[in-house]
Amino acid sequence: MVVRRRQFTGMRGIAPVPAYVVMQPTTLCNLDCAYCYLPFRGEDRRMPVGVAAAVAQPVNRWARDGRFSVVWHGGEPLATGREHFAALLAPFEPAVEHHVQTNATLIDDAWCEFFATHRIRVSVSVDGPRERNADRVTRGGRPAYDRIVRGVEALRRHGIGFSALCVVSDPTPARASELYAYFLDLGCDVLGINIEETEGINTRGNAHPEDDVTGFWAALVAAWRRDPRIHLREVEWSLRYTRAVLDGEADSVLPRQLDPIPTIAHDGSVVLLSPELAGFRDARYGDFSSGNVLATPLPEIIAGAATTRWVAEFLDGVEACRVSCPYFGFCGGAHAANRYFEHGRFDTTETDHCRNSKIRLLEGVLRHARDHQPSPA
Amino acid sequence: MPEITSRRPLEETGADPVVERVIGARAGLTALLSEAEQARRLREEAADPADGAVCAWNHFENIPTFYNWNNRPR
Repeated sequence: MVVRRRQFTGMRGIAPVPAYVVMQPTTLCNLDCAYCYLPFRGEDRRMPVGVAAAVAQPVNRWARDGRFSVVWHGGEPLATGREHFAALLAPFEPAVEHHVQTNATLIDDAWCEFFATHRIRVSVSVDGPRERNADRVTRGGRPAYDRIVRGVEALRRHGIGFSALCVVSDPTPARASELYAYFLDLGCDVLGINIEETEGINTRGNAHPEDDVTGFWAALVAAWRRDPRIHLREVEWSLRYTRAVLDGEADSVLPRQLDPIPTIAHDGSVVLLSPELAGFRDARYGDFSSGNVLATPLPEIIAGAATTRWVAEFLDGVEACRVSCPYFGFCGGAHAANRYFEHGRFDTTETDHCRNSKIRLLEGVLRHARDHQPSPA
Repeated sequence: MPEITSRRPLEETGADPVVERVIGARAGLTALLSEAEQARRLREEAADPADGAVCAWNHFENIPTFYNWNNRPR
């Protein structure tokens, strides 16, 4: 059967209102992970309360109209300290949801009480069993794993549900079942798998054999299916797409517009669409920022997004993906940071990240489905 | 079955190979989707809506750390 192609209509232009903002309370991280993309993570450049107050003005308004979240992302956000963190939270109204992405090493009883008091939802970065965390080390080069586990144990002791993000540097079928079993035991509610990316100051190559990566995702689906207690981000998204296709609604999956995803750096500068670009400079694109909330209201910065040179080029890149890539309806276009750090431009198309985390993900799910057809009754 | 590597402009071919492949796996996918739906229901029943890591089990875009397929924070 030949299915005639319709052009997917989502991801056109940038939405005027984001679903959330990413805030960098400090550039500092107490770890020094080998694959980290962040510059300045050895320096404690803290966000002044004035920056949080400037962001809170539109965010409080948006939260009155519907669900809205602030994601505190680092550096290591807990390295900010509870007192300053509380001061940064203060300008936000109770309707705003707060999330933190943390390496967990600083979590103790006091932090758990802080999370409960401020109703902060927690996501932990951990790469699987101890031996898979060799890249996660302290500034002194010592393994961080025991400290990560102590932090997770504190969350469990306090009954705080948590998500987990796992970086995978060697995606193979054997790794998938090991990882899923580990996260079942860890007790996370939600799991996201990030195959390592070449971006920021991490210049390690990330091309893998097609069959290894597709096999990794297929094996992960199989492991998940045996005990699907965890909400597995990549599987859920893939199943949502495949269901839409089977229902004849393939064009309904992508958002209509790109979310601007404002990342507010410690000094108030705003990088749109790609948190990974914050803190970098380029001769052609400058510092990638589209303004500073201390000088310009955030909604105004978002409204003028397309006047930022790299953003305009990126929008051309999304259109190039739309017309050239058969996976666009599933993917929505290569991510900005991957285009830039892999190709040096934003109007290119397929990246290693596309291949590892989008194309082979979908192909892995399809491989699993083809290999697990129901037996005739 | 290898992934699709051709990057000819899609208007030239007129076909939608990815959709074709999904439809080709319908039997296996239908069983998988059914099990996934059941798993979501069980997770929803087990979750504490006030304290869970997930804001809404049936609407995973409400997990901002994970949201945004086009470019999620990581």
